[in-house]
Amino acid sequence: MFWRILSRLLWASRGRLLLALLAVTSGAAVCAALVNLDLDAGEKFTREFRALGANVIVSPEAEQDSAPSMDTDVMARIAALHAPEVVAAAPYLYIAAQAGTQTNPVPVIVAGTWFDQVSLMNSWWKVDGQWVTQRDDSARCMVGRDAARQLGLAPGSPVTLRYSGRQAQFIVAGVVTAGGSEDSQIFISLSAAQSLAQLGDRAALAQVSVRGSAPVLEDFVGRLSAALPGLEVRPVRQLAVAEGRLLERIRSLLFVTVLLILVLSAMGVLAATAGLAIERRRDVGLMKAIGGSVRRVMRFFLAEALVIAVAGGALGGGLGLLLSQWIGWRVFSAAIAPRLVVLPLTIAVMIFVALAGALPLRLLGRVRPAEILRGE
Amino acid sequence: MMGPIVHADGLSKAFQSVRALDDVSFDVAEGEWIAIMGPSGSGKTTLINILGGLDQPTSGRAVVDGVEVGSLNERGLTRYRSEKIGFVFQQFHLVPYLSAVENVMLAQYFHSMADEPQAAEALVRVGLGDRLQHLPGQLSGGEQQRVALARALINQPKLILADEPTGNLDEANERIVLDLFCELHDAGHTILLVTHSAEIGRMADRRIELAHGRLAHIAANRR
Repeated sequence: MFWRILSRLLWASRGRLLLALLAVTSGAAVCAALVNLDLDAGEKFTREFRALGANVIVSPEAEQDSAPSMDTDVMARIAALHAPEVVAAAPYLYIAAQAGTQTNPVPVIVAGTWFDQVSLMNSWWKVDGQWVTQRDDSARCMVGRDAARQLGLAPGSPVTLRYSGRQAQFIVAGVVTAGGSEDSQIFISLSAAQSLAQLGDRAALAQVSVRGSAPVLEDFVGRLSAALPGLEVRPVRQLAVAEGRLLERIRSLLFVTVLLILVLSAMGVLAATAGLAIERRRDVGLMKAIGGSVRRVMRFFLAEALVIAVAGGALGGGLGLLLSQWIGWRVFSAAIAPRLVVLPLTIAVMIFVALAGALPLRLLGRVRPAEILRGE
Repeated sequence: MMGPIVHADGLSKAFQSVRALDDVSFDVAEGEWIAIMGPSGSGKTTLINILGGLDQPTSGRAVVDGVEVGSLNERGLTRYRSEKIGFVFQQFHLVPYLSAVENVMLAQYFHSMADEPQAAEALVRVGLGDRLQHLPGQLSGGEQQRVALARALINQPKLILADEPTGNLDEANERIVLDLFCELHDAGHTILLVTHSAEIGRMADRRIELAHGRLAHIAANRR
């Protein structure tokens, strides 16, 4: 009988209840999407952060000699860790070379590196022209924006670099705008730099881009330090702290947004049920007059709110998971893993929201049957 | 000798400064049909509401089937209404989105558990066997009042309280409903029926007349 009456109640008030369902569904959809995003946010955001450059530096200890350098086999030892959190790793050899003409030489910092890793690590760089993507491309180079301006270089221009009486020629593939010291450097392959400087298999440092939260980063640094005795492994702390803060702020923003949406959903339910409660006063008075206890009568109306909450929560939760996919592709260009835990969580939260919003229906329990039957 | 099924002793009810009922006392024996009469505002409905546990008296006692209504708490009143009282209202007061049989089942559900065949049988007894699944809006006034009567009787109440049950009916339907009340009386039901009609008043065993909330007259009808 309970379900029979409940179904009649739902059908009789379908207009108002649809409004309440709409409020719950839309609230649930946005909340589920944001919660799903939040659960995946750590991974997605740290992946995005990794496009901002390296966050771990490996270098020889400063007191080792006057011009510290290390063997490039350090890269093999980093690779040997088989750490899935490593996005990219590149050795760097810096030389103070000269560009320009023989008669008018211009000093310039040349960075020898692995082009294939640099493009992975610094995908946010703005490049006019083309990236060099082959690790040992000895024919082409990339030039920082300021250096290009100073030397009058553009994509396709030839450039000659000189160092200690040796020289090498390159074609400019792209002009880099990075907004930092890179803008005044010229990037060539590590092998070309080693050949120019006659430094064999040496590098000045290695930059590693590691994906993950601060604890993951710390753990990786510990393991790498153990694998590279005699070398200094240090995280770029400012970057890690800034990433952590940004992540925290984004999460706070998501939390406040979810809270706000829940309040708005509850108010939507409140608006829909306020009218319903006025319509139902007479029914409640009558039901109490013919022997219905407050508990039994109110069970119908609270069940109504629960049906709205569960239906809206499930429908909105499903839509929210789809919405988070769409946001994932639009914002991160990657799929957001749908977390099924979001669904029961959304339904539970919506039950709370619907019951809070159904306050007018709960107040119906106070209706005095004699007053209703008198027509008050 | 059995005691009265209804014992009203000095019942008074005040709404702020208005005394709707003033020191009313009477007894009703089991199986009696009492017509409660009087002009509008004389306290008829207030008396019915107190006896039915819908209102509490300001002073005095109302004892129905051994239960002092004024001493009951909310839970006790609910149980009292579902077990001892069958209400019939002038405005019918059916739940508009429940069918005729469901309206009767609702009273069963609040009493104990719904039994559709039994509810249908109650409607057949009041001549509505072919209207079981009709909504109140699809029934005439007389048919709605018969559904209300079937609902009032379904839990075999000790006392039927009817507040102008024919007040909204045409003559033909009034006749049908009054015939049903006669049948109930013949079957031994105790009925307190509020009416303005002298003709209906004469059908009862006794008439209780109220004026300005006071008991003006109690008279037995000659048979």
